[in-house]
Amino acid sequence: MDNFIAEGTQHTPNISMNASTGVISMSGQSYPENTFEFYQPVMAWLLDFFASTPQTDIEVNMEIIYFNSGSSKFFFDFFDIFDAEKNNYKITINWIYNPENTRALEAGEDFIEDFVNLSINLVTTK
Amino acid sequence: MHISQLEKILDDDGIVFLTYGGLLSQKLLVTMTESLEHESEINKLGMEVTTNLLTVFIELTQNMMNYSKAVTLQDIVFDPKGLIIVGHEQNKSNFYVFSKNTVSSKDKEKITHNIEQIEHLDKNELRKFYREQRRKGSEKHSKGAGLGFTEIARSCNKIHYNFSKIVGSDNFHFTFKAVLEIQEK
Repeated sequence: MDNFIAEGTQHTPNISMNASTGVISMSGQSYPENTFEFYQPVMAWLLDFFASTPQTDIEVNMEIIYFNSGSSKFFFDFFDIFDAEKNNYKITINWIYNPENTRALEAGEDFIEDFVNLSINLVTTK
Repeated sequence: MHISQLEKILDDDGIVFLTYGGLLSQKLLVTMTESLEHESEINKLGMEVTTNLLTVFIELTQNMMNYSKAVTLQDIVFDPKGLIIVGHEQNKSNFYVFSKNTVSSKDKEKITHNIEQIEHLDKNELRKFYREQRRKGSEKHSKGAGLGFTEIARSCNKIHYNFSKIVGSDNFHFTFKAVLEIQEK
């Protein structure tokens, strides 16, 4: 299947999802006007990826500087999909943040608590 | 035109910027956000305060945008104009974000319920409440007024809000103000 690439803007992140390497990355800001609409293709790609890819290693790198509440809901649903597939794939999620960004750290900690069965690492930049 | 009067008001209230008018666009929001980021840099506010200020501003503005769109879709006829002000209280080193728009009486109930649920929670309780609400949430990410107010509460020190009935209609003026106390570095 095709890879998914979206170039970031001031209010949407860079997104890169590679079907052959299993590496999924998002970086930047996320506050689109309609998060459901914006991230719908991302969800569709991910579901398609799991439906068509045999067992493989998956690495998810999330480096989101700021995200609005709609995006927060999306990330929850996004991780939920990985959670549903955790027994079928080896999944590693890296939540990357600037150590001065307390909100980003808290967000990472919250996801770790919400998804105890996923391997989520907190990784600092700098 | 009373420019000097307007300038005096802007200076006295430490207004950084304001927007007033009909449909608020995402483009305008992005520009205003960049302007706030720039303002934060000049005043050396630091990452935490900047993130809090942006959070309050973006959540409040997008709440208003979503509301105005929802109302338009339902063909409800009332003035969609909204006001957003970001200001700096010079004496007290506070930033504030103020909004005013028109809401129906049904939505007044919803908004009141959302705010009353969270206005007396401390930061830890707010964080816990936020996570619960997010877990419970529906499919549509775009709606999220409840989550939005919680985000605002987590990012500021005080919330003030008020509804005043518009004479001759079932609608209300809804005003909301979030105050952020800052210590400039």
